[in-house]
Amino acid sequence: MKKYKRTELPKAHNSECETYLANLDELSAYIDKELPPWKRHLIRRHLKRCDTCASHLQRLQHTDNFLRHAGDVEVSDDFLNSVIARVSEVAQHQRQQASFWTRVRGLIEVSFGWISPFATLTGKLRYNIRTRSPVYISILTFAVFTMVGVTLYQPSGDKFGEKLRELDSEKLISFEVIQHEPPKRLLTTYLQRK
Amino acid sequence: MFVSDEDLMVKCRKGDIGAFELLVRRYQDPLINYIHRFINDYHRSEDLSQETFLRVFKSASRYKPTASFKSWLYTIATNLCRNEIRNRSRRNTCFLEELVEEGEDVYDSEIMRDTRYLPDVLLEKKEQRQIIRKTLAQLPDNQRVALTLVTYQDLRYEEVAEILGCSVGAVKALIHRARKKMKKLLIKAGIGE
Repeated sequence: MKKYKRTELPKAHNSECETYLANLDELSAYIDKELPPWKRHLIRRHLKRCDTCASHLQRLQHTDNFLRHAGDVEVSDDFLNSVIARVSEVAQHQRQQASFWTRVRGLIEVSFGWISPFATLTGKLRYNIRTRSPVYISILTFAVFTMVGVTLYQPSGDKFGEKLRELDSEKLISFEVIQHEPPKRLLTTYLQRK
Repeated sequence: MFVSDEDLMVKCRKGDIGAFELLVRRYQDPLINYIHRFINDYHRSEDLSQETFLRVFKSASRYKPTASFKSWLYTIATNLCRNEIRNRSRRNTCFLEELVEEGEDVYDSEIMRDTRYLPDVLLEKKEQRQIIRKTLAQLPDNQRVALTLVTYQDLRYEEVAEILGCSVGAVKALIHRARKKMKKLLIKAGIGE
């Protein structure tokens, strides 16, 4: 059996190694050909000059080669058949389910055929909202202006406003000025006397 | 004419079982081996491979041809393996192969039938495989997945990153750490000076 040398993997040992490898993860990526060509070229050039990095790379490659000898397990002959049998069952079940839902949809369409114009209308509305169409924007603007207008507009036949106007505001003001007691109580007394 | 995996999946989506059979033929060996290296139980790995293919077929309608089929397949398999290991630790059970004697291994018959080598060489090969299997099992989950996918399934770092849900830089670090740890474990197992 192949033997390894018991040597600790070195860290980047000088500034040149740091420049070319950044960290030692790059060497594993170099083995797996996962680096861009320019970086591979730089590392290859560096490895020719640096023995420490070269031996490190050799040990990593050695481990990788050794692992590749792990061998494969044999797949049993009936594996494919059993997978296909199960898949066929699932496919049949899916087809049955699909046909059931097709029948249900047909029944719904027959029973609730009158809903379809509403559904079309709703669909169109949803499409307009989603696409922010001019129709949708103009309807929205109209709705907002209407709501603001209704809130601010005071109709002339307002009974509450008329009652307020009936109150003798001048007397209330004078009560407040002369007396220090709360005006509500004074108002009650005043009304009782009257 | 070679049909790509993605095209075959598109045909599967339309209910073509022949196309699916071709996919199973392509991936049954690598998938069983991958799962076997992950969970270390041959019989269970066949079950999980079946389950993986079944899930692929069931969710064929959700598959988008823009994604790599290989990554998708291995993602499903990895998730199933992780669940299996979690359940095993919860049940506190061990697999059959951890109990069998070295000479009774269920899948080493292939090596022993090989007539190109002398019996002692065959035994050495068998021993080598067992040591690799045991040392791989000692790696942390993510490192084992990354190393197995790169070394045995020949996946690119981008694909592994997609499967593990991490960056390519993280995969690079995982692979390097895994190789370093494997080296230490191999020395510890007696394959070293």
